[in-house]
Amino acid sequence: MTAADPSAPAASDAPAFLDLRFHRELYAGAAVDEAIKVFARHGEFHLSEAADAWCVHMRALRPALTRRLAHELANYALGLTVQRGGPP
Amino acid sequence: MQSSYPDIPAGLVAHDLTAAAVQLQVDPTIYPLQAIYGAAYIFIDRCYVFLERPEPGQVRVTLTAKGGSADAGALRALVGEFANELLGCAWRHQITQDNRVLLETVTMQAIAGAMGQPSLDDLASFDFSDQGFDDPLGIALSWEEKHGKKAPAASTGDGEAQP
Repeated sequence: MTAADPSAPAASDAPAFLDLRFHRELYAGAAVDEAIKVFARHGEFHLSEAADAWCVHMRALRPALTRRLAHELANYALGLTVQRGGPP
Repeated sequence: MQSSYPDIPAGLVAHDLTAAAVQLQVDPTIYPLQAIYGAAYIFIDRCYVFLERPEPGQVRVTLTAKGGSADAGALRALVGEFANELLGCAWRHQITQDNRVLLETVTMQAIAGAMGQPSLDDLASFDFSDQGFDDPLGIALSWEEKHGKKAPAASTGDGEAQP
């Protein structure tokens, strides 16, 4: 399991930060941005770009919820991407 | 991912009970990306869906149970239902592609019909000159034009040739 996948095995304690990689061919960048805006008040997000992905370095305000927040963020970004008809 | 299912070809599906997640490898040449999106969109209210591209030409779908725990049977059922939905979406996508021209034609006719009949002023001002008109059988010709007497050729001489 890579750090890109929020479904990584849950450790005994919640991770401090999670790295999500949204592949450019699968996720719309605007959808990722919009999703982060929606969840911004629940955690700390750092955006960066790789050659093939939108990278999000994140953690929840409550550490125990970091993994769940990553899941919800990914779901929201995917939903918006689908509503947009996919990446441009 | 730690283990796979014996009733599914190896390498396609793997699950991880610790993370309550199951991964499905999808070939986009069989299941178009729009079909993957369609199936994923249906499942995002039931589980967490994450898409990855592990290598060019491959899509990996990760489904994670929202409750945080699931047994192997539940994950097997989840990925099975997703695969079924994926197949349905791919088939609907194919039907849409096959009928695209028909759908566009019907839609265009409906929109054109909703615009109503053209008025006499519209017809009077309509420019027919740029319309292609093919009349190989001469149907558009009048009787006189098609079968009538030919108009006498204009005399070119001064009549001295006649005896």
